[in-house]
Amino acid sequence: MKAITARAANLIRAWDGPLTKDLVQAPGEFGLGKVPERLKPDDTTTMVCGFCSTGCGLNIHLKDGQAINLSADTFYPVNLGMACPKGWEALTPLQADDRATTPLLRNERGVLEPVDWERALVLFCERFKDIQRRHGPESVAWLGTGQICTEELAFLGSLGKFGMGMIHGDGNTRQCMATAVTAYKQSFGFDAPPYTYQDFEESDVIVLVGSNLCIAHPIMWQRVMRNRNRPEIIVIDPRKTETAMAATQHYAIAPKSDLTLLYGIANIIIASGCLDRDYIRAHTNGFAEFAEFVTPYTTDAVAAATGLTAEELWRLAQTISDGKRVSFWWTMGVNQGHEATRTAQAIINLALMTGNMGRPGTGANSITGQCNAMGSRLFSNTTNLLGGHDFLNAADREKVARILGIEESRIPRQNSLAYDQIVQGIADGKIKGLWIVATNTSHSWINHNAFNELTKNLEFLVVQDMYSTTETAQRADLVLPAAGWGEKEGTFINSERRIGLLKRVARAPGQALSDFNIFKLIAQYWGCGEMFRAWTSPESAFQILKHLSQGQPCDISGIADYHMIDECGGVQWPWTSSEPPPQQRRLFEDGCFYHEDGRARFIFEKPREVPEPTDTEFPFILLTGRGTSSQWHTQTRTGKSDVLRRLYPSAVYVEINPIDAKRLGLVPQSQVVVSSRRGQVEATAVVTTTVQAGQVFMPMHYANVNQLTFPSVDPYSRQPNYKSCAVKVDPA
Amino acid sequence: MSLIEDTEPRTLIDELLAEQQQLTAVERFSRKHERDALPAQSRYYRELIPLSKPMLGEQYAFGVDLDICTGCKACVSACHSLNGLDDDEIWRNIGLVHGGTVEEPYQQTVTTACHHCVDPACLLGCPVRAYEKDADTGIVRHLDDQCIGCQYCVLKCPYDVPKYSEKRGIVRKCDMCHGRLSVGEAPACVQACPSGAITIRIVSKWEAVASSPEGSHLLPGAFDSSYTKPTTVFTTRRSIPANARPGDERALRLEHAHWPLIGMLVLTQLAAGIYLAAAGLAIWNAPLFEAVKAPLAVTAFLILNLGLGVSVLHLGRPLGAWRAFLGLRTSWMSREIFAFSFFAAPAAGFAAASLWDFATGSFPKLHRFEMFGNPAHLAAPFAIATAALGLIGVFCSAMIYVDTRRAFWSRELTFTKFFGTTFLLGAAGVVALLAWIVVPIPALSLVAILATVATLIRAALFGWEFTGFQQALQDPAHLHHRPALLAWTFQQPLLYARIALFAGAISLGLVPILQAGPIAACCATLAFLLTFVSQVIERFSFFTTVVAPRMPGPLVPETPTHA
Repeated sequence: MKAITARAANLIRAWDGPLTKDLVQAPGEFGLGKVPERLKPDDTTTMVCGFCSTGCGLNIHLKDGQAINLSADTFYPVNLGMACPKGWEALTPLQADDRATTPLLRNERGVLEPVDWERALVLFCERFKDIQRRHGPESVAWLGTGQICTEELAFLGSLGKFGMGMIHGDGNTRQCMATAVTAYKQSFGFDAPPYTYQDFEESDVIVLVGSNLCIAHPIMWQRVMRNRNRPEIIVIDPRKTETAMAATQHYAIAPKSDLTLLYGIANIIIASGCLDRDYIRAHTNGFAEFAEFVTPYTTDAVAAATGLTAEELWRLAQTISDGKRVSFWWTMGVNQGHEATRTAQAIINLALMTGNMGRPGTGANSITGQCNAMGSRLFSNTTNLLGGHDFLNAADREKVARILGIEESRIPRQNSLAYDQIVQGIADGKIKGLWIVATNTSHSWINHNAFNELTKNLEFLVVQDMYSTTETAQRADLVLPAAGWGEKEGTFINSERRIGLLKRVARAPGQALSDFNIFKLIAQYWGCGEMFRAWTSPESAFQILKHLSQGQPCDISGIADYHMIDECGGVQWPWTSSEPPPQQRRLFEDGCFYHEDGRARFIFEKPREVPEPTDTEFPFILLTGRGTSSQWHTQTRTGKSDVLRRLYPSAVYVEINPIDAKRLGLVPQSQVVVSSRRGQVEATAVVTTTVQAGQVFMPMHYANVNQLTFPSVDPYSRQPNYKSCAVKVDPA
Repeated sequence: MSLIEDTEPRTLIDELLAEQQQLTAVERFSRKHERDALPAQSRYYRELIPLSKPMLGEQYAFGVDLDICTGCKACVSACHSLNGLDDDEIWRNIGLVHGGTVEEPYQQTVTTACHHCVDPACLLGCPVRAYEKDADTGIVRHLDDQCIGCQYCVLKCPYDVPKYSEKRGIVRKCDMCHGRLSVGEAPACVQACPSGAITIRIVSKWEAVASSPEGSHLLPGAFDSSYTKPTTVFTTRRSIPANARPGDERALRLEHAHWPLIGMLVLTQLAAGIYLAAAGLAIWNAPLFEAVKAPLAVTAFLILNLGLGVSVLHLGRPLGAWRAFLGLRTSWMSREIFAFSFFAAPAAGFAAASLWDFATGSFPKLHRFEMFGNPAHLAAPFAIATAALGLIGVFCSAMIYVDTRRAFWSRELTFTKFFGTTFLLGAAGVVALLAWIVVPIPALSLVAILATVATLIRAALFGWEFTGFQQALQDPAHLHHRPALLAWTFQQPLLYARIALFAGAISLGLVPILQAGPIAACCATLAFLLTFVSQVIERFSFFTTVVAPRMPGPLVPETPTHA
């Protein structure tokens, strides 16, 4: 009777039914709390996220071994149960319709059509070998990535240089981290970001230079917010970014006046005597020359160059001087500049002279971009010989050859060309064959119209990617379908040098293969399979990398295997003991740097003019950068998630100051044309006070923005200068 | 044959392709957690949710600390994943409030979801009581299986919270993860905010009401809080500059057209207009009424039912519409459905009574049913009752929109448009109909009189609309500037079309005033059709150019859900 009444009541007012059941939750177990009932896992496993260098731990919900959902991992020492929207959506891009599922070959009608692996591999080898025979081994080059596993990067680098005889290979890490690499190498003697994320929580002064941490690295910002010392948060950025809003001090300097500013601050601090002279004496070289060098950077001169007032400069210097534990952090605002290496070193100099190094809450800390930029820096065999070694050093070549069991003569005795030089090589007709792996050059490269024009000079372009639809894959002669994050095993190394693990929790679509296995196949078809006999699996390759790292600052010989990485919540390099490591470790606690004399160096140089100053025809400085936290780089992945797509504007926009908008007669949200000497882009005008007059900002995620950027590089790191070029804005 | 296959060595390609399909995570890396372990994340969110349940007069509410929200959008994604929402479905939004000066720029990201109002407009508007304000928690829950997909709550909510799912035919919305809260777990967004900006608080409903006086807003640009008494508490220690406005304030965005509603409104108003004319005749000129009642009754009845039929297309789940009586106490949508149902009954009676004499002529046996007199005599009372109920129906239709408190759907504009359409289409429709009927001379003067009336209404309505439009377009401070700007930006061809339709209808409408005959009838019919199209366009603009209030949105509009 009761049941009948209940059913009758439910008929009048339906509290239950199939639609209600869609959203019913059930205890997820495995420490998850409630989860949607239809997505209840039968197991869980943790793996590192595959978007940015923060390297968050994601708790993958599994059903029959397959990923069905995920949540942020509470126990992972990086993110403490948090993730940004990209992390939450990490599984979605794997399901996209435009995944490359078979090798694709461009037919005589110019259309990419499916072929089998056998034919793709034979052709790959035939064409590249033919080019090398006719134009020399260095006529084939590769452009790699910071998005695939360390083991894969090492395989690619070894296969390319030792197996296939290539000389030139570089990665898209050139676009994000090359400056930090060069700066650290010259200043510390090794590419070694010294910090651990715990430092965000332990500082009393946090200085962010050219970093919109809230948007670009939300989970690092989380660590800042966990700081209980009520820190002064200083943001140095031309824009009033989300981070600048959240900071306690914001210095909206003129674009690319950062080097002058940092020298000026150094000058004030030196003049005021707030130095750690003991630290300088014991652990550094070149301070006297540096102190002498910065004397012309008077408050007045620096105020004029930066657009700040003298009071602001003093306050900034005072805050740094007063801090007991000052940490300096920088990202692309510094790295992507025309004098980026010296700017990064100017930050390092400030940390060294105030003794803010090697202690909790201190450091001159470069925040990385991509999930495995650090893996690429150490093991991609491009700029460095595997494991941070030197191609020009005979002993290093000998060591690597011995460990790999190859002849020393197979190791090039010259350095690779950098990314921009490889592109120039195509223009000069020296590079005829190009193999692009997991990067989207046709979108991301500076002034990419020029690059896209150049691809016509290539005799054979191979693109290896998860998607056949990237701007670059669409230009390829051959597309190799790659498995993605979540479909393969391996390791990533994050910003704080933490090696994290990837697991296979999803099936790759069609005939897509992990990059590791693609390299294995290419080695066999090329005829150098024997050389990689020991590279049976990513984990066996990891053991080889351990050997290679031995005796280096990045020595990881203490890490037993993947299980140890899994158990420990990732392991930061270096680690040589067999004991499980503490979860937060920083470098230089003993003040010993990696130069032969154990000292860090003060390195400095006079600032130079920007390569393309504004003029009457192109009166605006174009700033580029990340738009929202739901967008990743060229959007090949974030564009595949409906949710992420809903969280960012579908079309490109340009932010412009109200004064400029009024002068140009622009109505908010109207269409404008932004043009540089290299191209023009139609965009929606967004009128906001957060950009200064005379400047405009455009997010880099939209394909056409890099038609505008000016092709120049930092002379030391050869990293492109994305942060400054001259443009004009007209109503559309 | 199989022997050969078995012994054929597998190539490396085959081997690796097979290996790629093996899922190895579970087998290689077993998980340490016990199966029944408590939520691990609770160590971080414990302080973000209340320890106790709300007491009498209290309810749960979202708290948002603006000073630590930096717009990372993790809350939106986590809500999506942990609630298992559809691919493009989100229950939270991130917007922006910005302003300040060039020297002192200001921007503040804002995370918002359902405000679980004390007076939820969605709940009060729902015709089938598919909303429930939980007595214990104050959470405004949506009963998905009760929903008929009428989307009135979408129009009623001034914060754009309920979202219609085309696929499911219902609306869904944030339920504050009531299931999680009931077992001491934090809602997904609270769990996922990296900075702990979102909390669950217990608030007093009285205080929520007291802090929502007329003219108060949750944030700059948000709707007047006195309407629904939202409970979300936004806090900041920074001062929000006086000129701070929503990031999307200047964004031009057309709203959904709701074609079935356009069809339903115009057709039912046409029918009501015809009934009104019929009732007028019945009162003032019985013989004339007798002469023309049948065509009027039949035509109006068909039009009315077409309108009601079309309206069903608007519902995501029309089979549940019988529950519409549940909302009568608070919902104008319920009242409209009811009014039109009652409208249809005398309308059917009027049609039957008008046709009685024809029917008995063909089927004399029908006379047997005349025990209480000849039903044909009931035509006049039926006509008058139908007209009265028709007017009530049109009134209810108008109140549906007025009750949303959207500026462009104000009492003045909506009533003028809806009743104007009723009178105009009624007069023009009757003229078009009667001009074809060969009747004694007085009917001709009736046509002429009605044609004059139609022309006057047509001119007055058009003049009123277009002067209003021009004023609104030219004055950025005008209350209806945005709708005018939207129409001017996106619907210029329609504006010109309406001018042309008006000119055509006015000229053609003069003919039946001056003469009778087939030419006049053709002109009258054409004038009616042009007027009908013009009113359809008017209703299209009514729906599409209304400014739907919402919480502050981002500077650049995000990818839209539906075009």
